[in-house]
Amino acid sequence: MKLARSLAFLFSLLPLTAFSANESAAIVPEAHFAIFEKYCLECHDSLTEEGGVNLDEISFKIDTVASAELWQKVLNTLNSGEMPPEDEPQLSDKEKTEFLDDLSHEMVAAREILSDSGGMITMRRLNRREYENTIYDLLGVTIEAEELPADTNSDGFDTTGAALFFSSDQFEQYLSLGRRALDQTFLLSKEAPKVLSFKRESEPSINKFFTKTTAKLKTSYDKAQEWRVVADTKKPGDFGFIDEDDVKFHERLYNQQYATYRHYLDSPEANSGILLSQLFNGAVVDKVEIPKKWPAGEYVLKVRAAALEKAPSHERFMEYGLVTSNGRAGELDLLGCIKITGTMDAPEVIEIPVTVSQTGSRVFGLRQRQHNNRDATRAAFLKSQVKNKVGPPPSLWVDWVEMTGPHFDEWPPRGISEIFFKGREWWTQPDEDVYAREMIERFATRAFRIKTPSQSYLDRLFDLYLIEKNKGKKFHESIRVPLATVLASPGFLYLIEPVPNLGEGKNPSSSTRELTGLELAVRLSYFLWSAPPDKALYKAARAGELSQPGKLAAQTNRMLKDSRSDEFISSFAHQWLHMERLDFFQFDFRQFPEFDDSVKAAAREEVYATLRAAINEQRPLRELLKSDHVFANNLLADYYDLEVAQSSKFQKVSLPADSPRGGLLGMAAVMAMGSDGNRSSPVERGAWVMRKLLNDPPPPAPANVPQLSRLQGELLSPREMQNAHMEEAQCAQCHRKIDPIGYGLENFDAAGKWRETMVLQRAGKKKGAKKRKVIDIDAHGQLPSGVAFQNFAELRDSIASESNAFERSFTEALIEYSLGRPYGFSDESLRERILKRARSKDGEVREFIHALVQSKPFRTKK
Amino acid sequence: MKSDLASNRRTFLRSSSALIALPFLESFGFRRFASAAPTVEPAKRLVFLGMGFGVTRDSWFPDTKTTGTEYELTPGLAPLARHKEDLTVIQNLSNQFNNEAHWGSTFWLTGANRYAEPGQSFHNTISVDQVAAETLGKETRFSSIQLGYRGGDNSGHGPGLSLSWNRQGKPVAALNTPVTAFHRLFSDDSTPLEERQAALRQQRSVLDTVLEDAKSTKKGLSKADTEKLDEYFQSIREIETRLSKEEEWLDVSKVTPSQPLKEPGEGLEGVEEMKVMYDLMLAAMEVDASRVFSYRQPLDTMIRSMGATITAHNMSHYGEGARKEVSEQRDAKQAELLAHFIDRMKAIPQAGGTSLFDNSTLTLGTNINSIHYLNNCPTIVTGGGSGIKHGRHLVMKEAKSPLCNLWLSILNGSGIETESHGDSTGVIESLFS
Repeated sequence: MKLARSLAFLFSLLPLTAFSANESAAIVPEAHFAIFEKYCLECHDSLTEEGGVNLDEISFKIDTVASAELWQKVLNTLNSGEMPPEDEPQLSDKEKTEFLDDLSHEMVAAREILSDSGGMITMRRLNRREYENTIYDLLGVTIEAEELPADTNSDGFDTTGAALFFSSDQFEQYLSLGRRALDQTFLLSKEAPKVLSFKRESEPSINKFFTKTTAKLKTSYDKAQEWRVVADTKKPGDFGFIDEDDVKFHERLYNQQYATYRHYLDSPEANSGILLSQLFNGAVVDKVEIPKKWPAGEYVLKVRAAALEKAPSHERFMEYGLVTSNGRAGELDLLGCIKITGTMDAPEVIEIPVTVSQTGSRVFGLRQRQHNNRDATRAAFLKSQVKNKVGPPPSLWVDWVEMTGPHFDEWPPRGISEIFFKGREWWTQPDEDVYAREMIERFATRAFRIKTPSQSYLDRLFDLYLIEKNKGKKFHESIRVPLATVLASPGFLYLIEPVPNLGEGKNPSSSTRELTGLELAVRLSYFLWSAPPDKALYKAARAGELSQPGKLAAQTNRMLKDSRSDEFISSFAHQWLHMERLDFFQFDFRQFPEFDDSVKAAAREEVYATLRAAINEQRPLRELLKSDHVFANNLLADYYDLEVAQSSKFQKVSLPADSPRGGLLGMAAVMAMGSDGNRSSPVERGAWVMRKLLNDPPPPAPANVPQLSRLQGELLSPREMQNAHMEEAQCAQCHRKIDPIGYGLENFDAAGKWRETMVLQRAGKKKGAKKRKVIDIDAHGQLPSGVAFQNFAELRDSIASESNAFERSFTEALIEYSLGRPYGFSDESLRERILKRARSKDGEVREFIHALVQSKPFRTKK
Repeated sequence: MKSDLASNRRTFLRSSSALIALPFLESFGFRRFASAAPTVEPAKRLVFLGMGFGVTRDSWFPDTKTTGTEYELTPGLAPLARHKEDLTVIQNLSNQFNNEAHWGSTFWLTGANRYAEPGQSFHNTISVDQVAAETLGKETRFSSIQLGYRGGDNSGHGPGLSLSWNRQGKPVAALNTPVTAFHRLFSDDSTPLEERQAALRQQRSVLDTVLEDAKSTKKGLSKADTEKLDEYFQSIREIETRLSKEEEWLDVSKVTPSQPLKEPGEGLEGVEEMKVMYDLMLAAMEVDASRVFSYRQPLDTMIRSMGATITAHNMSHYGEGARKEVSEQRDAKQAELLAHFIDRMKAIPQAGGTSLFDNSTLTLGTNINSIHYLNNCPTIVTGGGSGIKHGRHLVMKEAKSPLCNLWLSILNGSGIETESHGDSTGVIESLFS
């Protein structure tokens, strides 16, 4: 199609698209045709085709992969400044900015349209989370399937079927994981294990160790001083040192550590317990090891502890976790963090439920809260040692720890009793083979959710059992082989929705059918629980209740109330809001000593807790943008300088009227995601707001655009630095919209704490120039819509008033997550129906979910 | 009763396993081939080393004004100085479809267009090493070896399980720790032969069983779903192929390299881990366990083991200052590890007075140039296996010459006749002249 003809074609389309721009087709606006005439066609017309590129015939409607690719090339070469060539006339900045702006946005739309699945849902395999949950549901054991690919999908959700591959090694991994899970299930003996218990006081051993260390340090130091007196005449070797460096080494050790240990031993609290200090060599960790022969399971760790009188509030928290061989001194695989409210006069006893695994570390450790990094502990120690010679004053004291368990809710555990369905006498069944056959059939049927396993498949499974048995293996060993095989079979690994009654030669993709009740139950439970249906849901499905809207809604409500829906809330929110960014960077422990792993975990949890509360309390979605309260535990409340009741659980906390907290933009997690661990990034934050809150995603940062290294080493404010984005036309097109939003969020530092000023630091070396400068935060800016704001509060309020966009963003994500396919333009009517229904109920979060579950696409197979 | 599928599969396996010939090794004559013909051309080998995030621009790439033999090694390449005559630095190669600034490996060896399939947000094609393995892998115990590292992708590699992608464009898994690689390559199963045969039989029965389910699952699936399930079938097929290969090799002990290897320690990380992986590759080449290797290298743990306290992603966004220093140290360490690897490859003799190095082709690189730049992928080729005339700095005339032209050149140079790879437009003649 020649340019002239494509023009005509385009104009014929314009009336249709004038009011629904970008919604059904990606079209480059006509205004830019002149640019092509003026700058491109000289070389890239059908006659010359310079570089093999012929723009004469390019369709201004981007509707094929080929045309999208050609346009992408146009975009790339303009972005990188490659075209037009240097010696040819150049686009004016205005032309370039506007053209690139339109083109890049049309490319976003084109990708969406071209990747549209037309409403098809591809059969999918269980993703890693679902696999772990499903194994737990079947066998009652938790396994971490780390061997399996993480299934994270950089573009979307881990539920997108088309992106869930099955690689060549995966089958064997499923086989061995299934085997491992079964072994764990079968490990339990016929009798419930006795509850074991032991108590440990750590001060004798640690005091003995410190006494020994102090004595050694002192002896060496004294010897070193003896030598120094006679250094002119005698050699270090005469005093037991290798050379003078060795002398210096021992002097240094003494200076670094002696006073600290001495001080520790002299503290009155050290006589009755252990002080969780920070030392040169890392954090003091009170350890308790579970003996190898104790069974795996649920235990309770009891701790008698107190906070010292002078301890500052943010240090009154005790972290607990596992000590592993990978960690350096004082580092833990963190499990949690608990506020200590007991005092030395009245210590408290805390009970912490913990899981002891079969294979992993069995050493539990307790320490004062801090960055989980020995370097950070050392830095904190040295900083304080300069002032007081002994290091940071300890804040926590532990009298004793006690471990009790294993505890079982029921015996035998559900995993066992479901498999050995004839009760606990399984090992004395008269006809093992008959029993085996029944067990295999029951297990496979349960594992396959809806599908009935074929008879020939069951026969083969039974053969696997016989082969083992004929080798002389015991019954309970032989039966594991077929059961593990079930856990690697398609019927278990895939969520299958076949097209029934399909005749020869018929095209299945043309048909749409209602899901059966059981299929709908499975879809619903993997949506809300990432796990198989429970008995109640199966029962409702079998009774045909799920085809009644009222009953389906009742099940949805029941499932949302169940704690298994935590899996939906956290996985959905994490992926929707791109929270993986929280783990992209390490936070600088010098700048942000309080933003340690425990606070980070609490900050992450705040997002989930807020969404959870909105669902439970039937609150509208827009309250996620602005709210007069937050959900916080005591750790996060301390970080936010709020008062809360003494609980490690998340609870509703009312905010003072002028608080910046409340709503996503006031959350530490969201602000920390918009940083690189050192500095806040107005660009990341602005782009995130556009993507997630305004539902107006800016195009991805183009490749090959020069990084602004030129200004590095200058003492410039982020605003001044970012102004450089405006110098280049190809940058300005997006950054003029993105950056000003980010400026409005500059009152939050990289770790999400409120600040009125910021410190500019110079990274590089530049002689004679100032190294640092403090400036006031200037938070004024404007939204892409043109609405101006003077400060953060105004920015937040303006965004909250545009909650329609936020509702669209949420709905699109919900569709994608629940249906397991990318959101495409053909989903627009679905989105509008969901929005309409939810808005008729004041935009309640739960109504979005109901509207989706009741929608036709959720209830049919295409 | 045997199903059609199973009997077809068996037939297929029987015919394909017949093609699997056993290798002749100069230093290790196999018992059953003790009387085989005396001399054979030394085997060609390929090694691909993917380093994730890009290099430090100013201090890694040689000056483009100095090409041919008259060029100076930059600080980032300086540790390779003693091998300068045996390596080629190539500039201006890249994959035209590249658009992900954090995906240094996903399309590095494939050159695929992520969006080639409408309705799919991800698509890939076979990687060059897997193409080579189809030919070079016939005679060895392992058709190819993929190495990787443990942990998530914080190193700038992008989606994938290794550098390698199979014929269907699906990711090929890697051996992710030195311990697993060691055992796969060198540990002999001490269980008696009969038991191992029984174990193989059991594995086959398990495969037959799951195929039985897969077959009934396939009934009534839509077209897209059938394609999805095909991935499962493919996985089973690949295991079948491996099992029959294992069967062929069942009574052949794994060969121990001349310098016996110790079992690597658990929990090795960063530079130490990489050193052991290089050692393992070398030993595997020496005993001819495989001829094709790909190694997706750790970067995050690598720089941390060198004392950095920033992440690899932080490093890749260097400006002036500490991050740049880390980036420069990393470049030099990469070059140093490669230089040492070359030393050792040169020291291992092969037939006809040649060395392992003379018969191999190694590439070190990534799809990311530096920071977020995707043009001009850093590329070093070394080794005499494909007839490349080394000792030179080549700057391609076209600023975006297809990287796949290099892969095609290496394939052809190593005796693998193929017309094209990825988006290649032809071999790079200047490599050989």
